[in-house]
Amino acid sequence: MTLGKDIKSNHARHAVITVLFALLLGVSGGRAQQPSETPPPPSNPRPVTIPNVTETVLPNGLKVVVVSRRGIPLVTASLLVKSGANLENEKEAGLADITASLLIKGTTSMTATEIAEQIEFLGGDIGSGAGWTSSSVNIGSMSSGLGKALSIMSDTVIRPSFPEKEIALLKKQTIDDINVSLKQPGAVMNYVSSRYSFGEHLAGGTRQSIGNINRNAIVRFHRQNYRPENSVLIFTGDISEKTAFGFAKLFFGGWQGRSDSIRKTNEVAAVEPSKSGNLPERLVSRLLVIDLPDAGQAAVGYMNRLKTGRSECDSGAGGAHNCRSSKVYFPAGVLNSVLGGGYSARLNQEIRLKRGLSYGARSGFDWRSSAANFGASTQTKNESAAHVAELIQTEIEKLIREPVSPDELVPRKAVVTGGFGLGLQTNRGVAGMVRDLYLYGINPDELNEYMNKVEGVSGDQIMEFASKNLKGGDIIVVGDSKMFIEDLQKRFPNQTIEVIKAEDLNLDSRTLRKAKR
Amino acid sequence: MRKFIILAVFSILTAGASGQTGIAPLDIDQRTLQNGLQVVTVRDTATPLVSVQVWYRVGSKDDPDGKSGFAHMFEHMMFKATKNMPNEKMDRLTEDVGGFNNAFTADDTTAYYEVVPSNYLETLLWAESDRMVNLAVDKGNFESERDVVKEEYRQRYETNPYGMLFWYVDNLSYKVHPYKRPGIGNLEELSAATLEDAFKFYREYYRPDNAALIVVGDFDSEQLDRWVDKYFGRIEKPADNIKRVTAVEPPRTETARFIKLRPNVPLPAVAITYLAPPSTSNEIPALEIAAAILSDGRSSRIYQELIYKQQLAQDAGFFTDIRTDTGLLTFYGIAASGKSIEAIEAAFLKEISKLKTEGPTADELMKAKNKLVVGILEGRETVNGKAQAIGNAIIYQNDPNAVNSDVAKLQQVTIEDVVQVMNKHFDENKRTVIYYKQGDETGAKK
Repeated sequence: MTLGKDIKSNHARHAVITVLFALLLGVSGGRAQQPSETPPPPSNPRPVTIPNVTETVLPNGLKVVVVSRRGIPLVTASLLVKSGANLENEKEAGLADITASLLIKGTTSMTATEIAEQIEFLGGDIGSGAGWTSSSVNIGSMSSGLGKALSIMSDTVIRPSFPEKEIALLKKQTIDDINVSLKQPGAVMNYVSSRYSFGEHLAGGTRQSIGNINRNAIVRFHRQNYRPENSVLIFTGDISEKTAFGFAKLFFGGWQGRSDSIRKTNEVAAVEPSKSGNLPERLVSRLLVIDLPDAGQAAVGYMNRLKTGRSECDSGAGGAHNCRSSKVYFPAGVLNSVLGGGYSARLNQEIRLKRGLSYGARSGFDWRSSAANFGASTQTKNESAAHVAELIQTEIEKLIREPVSPDELVPRKAVVTGGFGLGLQTNRGVAGMVRDLYLYGINPDELNEYMNKVEGVSGDQIMEFASKNLKGGDIIVVGDSKMFIEDLQKRFPNQTIEVIKAEDLNLDSRTLRKAKR
Repeated sequence: MRKFIILAVFSILTAGASGQTGIAPLDIDQRTLQNGLQVVTVRDTATPLVSVQVWYRVGSKDDPDGKSGFAHMFEHMMFKATKNMPNEKMDRLTEDVGGFNNAFTADDTTAYYEVVPSNYLETLLWAESDRMVNLAVDKGNFESERDVVKEEYRQRYETNPYGMLFWYVDNLSYKVHPYKRPGIGNLEELSAATLEDAFKFYREYYRPDNAALIVVGDFDSEQLDRWVDKYFGRIEKPADNIKRVTAVEPPRTETARFIKLRPNVPLPAVAITYLAPPSTSNEIPALEIAAAILSDGRSSRIYQELIYKQQLAQDAGFFTDIRTDTGLLTFYGIAASGKSIEAIEAAFLKEISKLKTEGPTADELMKAKNKLVVGILEGRETVNGKAQAIGNAIIYQNDPNAVNSDVAKLQQVTIEDVVQVMNKHFDENKRTVIYYKQGDETGAKK
């Protein structure tokens, strides 16, 4: 088993930012004690090549997108369905993910084992799943084996059979997974924050809601949402546009659309968080502790629901058209890079590098079309949980109070633009960027503008975004509460602390508590 | 767990084809400087990126006595000040210009790696050469970073319900080899280490004749050679010999069973290990094929039997943990709710026995080869992946060019080869079996 300096980073997380690597001479440096040498400066940078995105629409409404990248003989194909947990009933939370996961567990012509065997015999794999806003099926292939793989993929999307025994097994496995997660403070914090701070039900489901899901609900969800006009098929890799469009027509051309419209009632959270209406004065609105007595560490986070989202659209006939990234998207992305998007961001500086209180502290935005879930979190020994909560609060308040200086802004923007260049190395990286744009209906030409948009973000814009959007969230601490509860009250003297014991925690209830007997 | 979305890859294949897959060989240049530094480079201008890596031949097996976890903790110190760089300068030279850096410590090696825009190549060569000789971490930073490592221990081993299972796998599978000390160490022994230990360890193992420099990406070859000579060539080779582990793990003579209780285990688990031959053994490709047949993908034998048909396990698998000395062949299973780890153990034994007596089918063999080859191919998408493959070849096969023959070696494995390695290395009476359950006591030998 190997260990490392830092958790392996995930460059695909914040979408898509572009192009030339910043030419930076001697960023920082200088603090060393009389160095006898200084680092040699960089030479001139070579530009990053942005791949072309080509698109066509089949007669049945399926959008087909190709990013042709020659070199290594691999192709990925990803079928994106623009419906996810946002369109499921709260009592059946997890339905979208269960439905997607079952696609590859049997079709009218293949069993689960046959699907796995045929795909894996080709050296590959097939995966499917759903998040809050989308569902997807993904495959990869050597370019020359793509046809066979696509024939299986189209079968799973268009003709799944949803066998009862597969449903029963998947439900049992999902409940076992949830039981394991409920013993881990980080996972519990994620569950709790969905309910408590973001006002969303749990996209992965709860033990009870998974139990409520039956075959009829799955078949209905599939019929309602998996349709060509609600989907995008994305190819990236060693394939020509012509071949890709031909395959799309061959394997997905017969997929029939429907004339009725898709129910979109739950597009934004079905459950609004119980907060007052006006712009909050204080950063921390509530302080919640989940007592998990055997936890080896405490998870500590600041969570907030934003009322601005990923995209802005001009409404045309029949729904959203002509979307672009929202005005807050780029300021938020650079803010995150400053605060907690990477190893040298402020949270990790303060919590890990300066004080040794954690293996890593991070922040991030989980975007919805017209909302976002913001979280800044870490894990620390139970004894230092209150201290870390205070440090997180301080760092977010600082963003609201002071503009980020140019000296800090330049390298943190480079993290964002550089992450984009690194992502362009792999088919998966490119596919992820393209998927994000198409999910929100954003014109893929934005790929070419992102560099400028990131570079254009100012320190003042970040401060304005922070003061408008980051206040009024919740501090959540999950851990062995007897080790930190007094310290927490001392550090947050004006805050009422709500404590819920693990055995009383009920993720099916908006109050998070089991009914009193 | 089950929620991930897999984007995978298939190899080209028509019915009856041999499964030959064209992987373009890496065009490797290598030389050794007078001070003993091995230099391996591959020019690849597909992107304006370059990966710079230094792999040291020191790992957790070299932890000082009573100070397990030291090599890994020391790896963290290599990001602190040098004579010429303040703390975390490596982040300024990588992250701040749109690249990244990281490092890892394994039992046999410690590797440092960066990917940067290629116009920063000279800067990074300078920085890697600087921290090879000029480390200047102080007591305050040493102690603060030690606290970070303790949090890493708590996060990965104490807070993750199954983290300690794999700690015990290392700890209980070896009798004499220092591999028995898990690389993360433990809180007590981490506390015992001092700043003086760090500099002693640094002088002992961080030297040009104990390292390989790997550069893959967008560079001009002549310019690269000049910079390598300039920044690394000036480092002196120490006169003393490097201390090496000489312990030899004896063959097992019986099965050992352990029960370990932890306070936070939602579903009981079991691990079973066998000893593996060293990484240079010509049996490794057949063992990798066996591992793929047993455990790679939803059509693998363990998934089909234990998770899908019998539904005994919430999660189960098998992996090879190949090291330069005796490695491990490890089965693990977490029980499905209501199922027992005894039943999982019995099911593993049955699968092993079946593979020993009946061997794989021809289709299974080809499937395993295709999956492994595609995995190698995916690693070739990035400059970092290519450099990592070369680093592994250097450490585990003593030859960077082994990256260009791995595929051929896998393709040559026959059904008989798989049967033979299964029978040789999976002896039912030479197992270490660990039962891992919820409970308050520390475990005792059954």
